[in-house]
Amino acid sequence: MIPLAHYLILSGLLFSIGLAGIIIRKNILVVFMCLELMLTAANISLVAFSRAQGTAGLPVYDVQILSLFVTGIAAAEVAIGLALIVALFRARKTVESTALNTLKD
Amino acid sequence: MEEHISNLVSADYTWCQFCPTFALVILAALLLLTDAFLPKLPKRSLAIVAALGCLGTAGYLIADSGAPLTLLGVIACGATALSIMLAFDYKKITCDSVAGGDCEEGTGEFYTLPLVACAGILCLLQARDLILLFVSLEVVTLSSYVLAGYFRRNQGSVEAGIKYLILGAMSTGLLVFGAAWYFGTTGSFLLSFDTVQRAISGGTAASNAVVGGFLMANALLFAGAFFKVGAVPMHLWIPDVYQGAPTPVSTFLAVASKTAGFAVLLILIAPWMPFIIPGITVARLFVTVFAVVAAATLLIGNLGALTQNNAKRLLGYSSIGQAGFILVFFITPSAATPVMTAGYLLAYALATTAVFYAIAMVRTQRGSEEIAAFRGLGKTNPRTAFLIVVALASLAGVPLTLGFIAKLNSFVVLVNSMSLWGNLLILLPIMILCAAAGFYYYFKIIRAMYWDAPRPEDSPLQVPPTTGIVLSLCAIGLIVLGTLPLLLNW
Repeated sequence: MIPLAHYLILSGLLFSIGLAGIIIRKNILVVFMCLELMLTAANISLVAFSRAQGTAGLPVYDVQILSLFVTGIAAAEVAIGLALIVALFRARKTVESTALNTLKD
Repeated sequence: MEEHISNLVSADYTWCQFCPTFALVILAALLLLTDAFLPKLPKRSLAIVAALGCLGTAGYLIADSGAPLTLLGVIACGATALSIMLAFDYKKITCDSVAGGDCEEGTGEFYTLPLVACAGILCLLQARDLILLFVSLEVVTLSSYVLAGYFRRNQGSVEAGIKYLILGAMSTGLLVFGAAWYFGTTGSFLLSFDTVQRAISGGTAASNAVVGGFLMANALLFAGAFFKVGAVPMHLWIPDVYQGAPTPVSTFLAVASKTAGFAVLLILIAPWMPFIIPGITVARLFVTVFAVVAAATLLIGNLGALTQNNAKRLLGYSSIGQAGFILVFFITPSAATPVMTAGYLLAYALATTAVFYAIAMVRTQRGSEEIAAFRGLGKTNPRTAFLIVVALASLAGVPLTLGFIAKLNSFVVLVNSMSLWGNLLILLPIMILCAAAGFYYYFKIIRAMYWDAPRPEDSPLQVPPTTGIVLSLCAIGLIVLGTLPLLLNW
């Protein structure tokens, strides 16, 4: 059986990669993938903890419910995000975050 | 307060707690269906029904109970109703930016989505565990993303939508990761006194790793809440989104969504309250973090506003600055924190809504949101100009307005908590500086209205009836409650 720590390290790594990607990458589509990565990383932690805290071989189902909600909300976020990206592409013919320059001090 | 805490121990929800939420969701669904099946129906009727629904819910909440969190619900409902009514006055620009020309097609959701968001806020106020908190917060945020980017022919709006979505989704990620670790270290999603006590003072699996993980979880959860209120490390979206989003949506974000953020903060902080006393190591950390965040929020919000020329962007920075004053209540949380937060938010909500109405009116008729577009209103529309002055004066904290009492409260709380936490003295000069800065930047708009002469082509603004009524009511409310603060029972 794989110990809990391994899952947590994997999830922490994915989370950091996602966060770094949001800060570094310029293509908004890639930024979106990184956002999804962060949520997925959180989901891995959730499911790992639900197994680790479980009793009598059963996981804690509350946590798995939350991870289902997270998946659903991530999907909704992507739907909205892609719609906005399409609108941006129509207006600017690019999806680079450097094109987001109308609003500034 | 004891009663409040003991309620937190078990999160047994009852169906009737969620009646207002269900009512709003059902109303929103009905309006969406009406919009889909009766496309010829003027969208005005949708807006009126939606605003009335929100006002009705606010009335129900007032009658229902006087719990501080319910007061936040009343403010959120009222603010949603007002932003829907503003959308109604803003129709010309909405139609032009969505479908082009005067065509109303595709603007129906603009009036119904705020209802969904408002339902999310009401659900959020009932949350006593992280699952409900997370899901209802996301209902609010997801609808706000759509609303912020709703004007698809307007580059600013689309850009605001994308920026809001990227930063918002990032904060969601932090929140979920925090929730995972919260469960991992405590074995429960309940936001209760017992859970916190178990985690920080030992209990079953006492070890440094558990305490460390629990603190990290709380840091991530608070970061998610800070994003909604616009506290400093997470404030970057506010000026851009407020400036780019359609004005009714900016109103919603500035008032209702910020109220939701403070509700999250109150819910997260409630189980911590008994532990924030000198002598507990964690308490010291907690107070330091909140004091630093409050100071940074005050400074960046108020000093950033000084150089702004766009009225909406100015209000964005102002909302960061005002959040800083509210965060002062959270440095040493006590049983009075929710009431004081609600009071400050009421002052902020009345004044900010009034100013956004004024901005929308100027934008519709003079085509600009710059402060310079307010030129000469003192001459052409003396009465409206006076009402705007009252709102701005309240935001700045001029005595005899509600804003003064709210700011005063913030100072009093800080001075009181200095008896236990002497180091908080550093915050006092920062708050004084920021309050003074407020007088400069809010008065920029007043100066434009009275000192700048109107240009020959400037005709007096036509004040739409809704705008007139809302401006008057907000100004009257600010002055009456400001002169007779006991009416509020703080």
